[in-house]
Amino acid sequence: MTNSVPTRELVRLQGLQVKVGQLLVKNKLDDLIKDDLSRLYEALELSVSKLDSLNLQGIALNNIDNAETRHDIRNAIGITKGYAELIKDTVESPSASLSNLLDKIMLWSAKTISTLERTPIKRDNSKPSLIHSLKPQQEYRGHILILDDEPANRELLSRHIQQLGMKPFACEKAEQAYEVLQNNDIDLILLDLIMPEVSGHQVLADLKASQLWRAIPVIVISGMSDQEEVIRCIQAGADDYLQKPFNKVLLQARLYAGLDRKSWVDKERHLSSELEKSQRFIKNTFGRYLSTEIVSKLLDKPDGLDMGGQLQTVTILMADIRGFTTISESLPPQKVVKVLNNYLGTMAEIIMAHDGTVDEFIGDAILALFGAPVAKADDSARAIACALAMQAEMDAINARNIADGLPSIGIGIGINTGEVVAGNIGSKKRAKYGVVGHAVNVTSRIEDQTLPSEILVAKSTLDACSLACKLGRQIELRPKGVSEIINVSAVESIDTTTSSQPSQFDSAGEK
Amino acid sequence: MTRLLLVEDNEMNRDMLTRRLKRKGFKIDAAGDGEQALVMIKESIPDLVLMDMNLPIKNGWMTCQEIRANPNTETLPIIALTAHAMAEDKQKALDAGCNDYTTKPIDFPLLLEKIDALLTLNKKKGD
Repeated sequence: MTNSVPTRELVRLQGLQVKVGQLLVKNKLDDLIKDDLSRLYEALELSVSKLDSLNLQGIALNNIDNAETRHDIRNAIGITKGYAELIKDTVESPSASLSNLLDKIMLWSAKTISTLERTPIKRDNSKPSLIHSLKPQQEYRGHILILDDEPANRELLSRHIQQLGMKPFACEKAEQAYEVLQNNDIDLILLDLIMPEVSGHQVLADLKASQLWRAIPVIVISGMSDQEEVIRCIQAGADDYLQKPFNKVLLQARLYAGLDRKSWVDKERHLSSELEKSQRFIKNTFGRYLSTEIVSKLLDKPDGLDMGGQLQTVTILMADIRGFTTISESLPPQKVVKVLNNYLGTMAEIIMAHDGTVDEFIGDAILALFGAPVAKADDSARAIACALAMQAEMDAINARNIADGLPSIGIGIGINTGEVVAGNIGSKKRAKYGVVGHAVNVTSRIEDQTLPSEILVAKSTLDACSLACKLGRQIELRPKGVSEIINVSAVESIDTTTSSQPSQFDSAGEK
Repeated sequence: MTRLLLVEDNEMNRDMLTRRLKRKGFKIDAAGDGEQALVMIKESIPDLVLMDMNLPIKNGWMTCQEIRANPNTETLPIIALTAHAMAEDKQKALDAGCNDYTTKPIDFPLLLEKIDALLTLNKKKGD
């Protein structure tokens, strides 16, 4: 059967070829690129001629039986893609039109090759699914499953469907239908309600319960008297209904509408899988530094990643190993790294468990944020709970260090709350989410004053914190370059007996 | 400079791959069939061979076996370029003595990785 209407792929390809031709004639390109481009043009011509001849034979791209033909076409497209990639790799700063065109060619090639690969490998013809198989060469507008126990109905519907350029898969029984669904990409289901073994209603319920088949539109077929059943089916998820005897025009309209719906569902699925992919990417990228909860929040907000720079109140936690410079001088470099990794890895986990953001490791120092990128009411409380959990974990870290023949270490932690500018800071090529501001410097000064195993917390943080803390020594700091006096207290524990709210952090910290 | 021998019967494919590999700094010799490849290898042994399997006159599998049979080229790295992503083809190529394989249409960055890996491995062995 001859089908002289060019396929979409062929039309696109010819368009691309023409554009490459125009570029070759018009542009003043250097000789090397011109030569590459003319090879690309030839490769496109080869691909066009292959697709054209396929088209003349009425063979669809995803239905090439002949392995050699398929090989030929794959080869032609592979060459086309190769030249396009070659040029893309070679030209240092391509014009927008060239770069755009190459992208389109690569995309077209990748898509078309994947269509080719989708070719079903020879089907077993004895399967019940192909009762009404048409000539395999035809490209169909849709694959329609018919489930009807009456042979005459199946025959009639199949014929109508074929005339509409769609492929019918007629089944007598539900099991047959499930098999067809498993082996074929079905776009729409015509379902008879009254069948001897399983009712149409049951089949519908099964379909809608299936993750895989739920999205396939179902049109129920009913006799004149089944109105109530029709209503029941539509409530159960059927998309439409059709009355016997079939009206061809109505059948056509409903099939088209159903296929349309299916194509939207397919598109949506495709888009949501793309979205999922990019979300996964973001989660993997930021997940190392942000807790999963914060990453999820960022993803949920439409402007979540537009962290352009914002004045924000955050609680800043800084920790470092007291006397580390001396320790590191007495150890071989490998051991220094081991001590650090052992310590930093554990601390990062604790910080994330408290929904903090590890902003930076600077040598043995940690800068963590609570309240950026996402502010919460209990930022200061979480920071304090986190610091206590970090100190509590030091025993375990030191036990491991000693077991590994490494020195034991003590850390000091300073916490302060204040306004900072938070955002992506840096150049276009290398930017990093971080904070800048006076409050960061103050935190560093506070942290400088800590003794090993001590947590010093600024008044600003304690004021904002709803938890009752057991405090130790109190000092007044007057850091260099800071006009006001900073009141700082050592926090020894959270007083759980007088705490107004049950602490939710204890469990996160201990483990 | 690393010398690769590309054995590929399709002129356009050969040209395309030659250009791409040259731009990556390799020196490329190309042969159009297995027999020609064997003659060229006899004249001078390249650092690595990229071999299409469906070749005229002498196919890739036979050519590989002959390369392996010669003590001078026993360890010459060969990457098979196979047309199908089928497990049997891969096995067939490896059985014929290829060190690695990649399917067409060629994923160029992957091919470069494979070339690099084999060359590094071979260098280590030689040291």
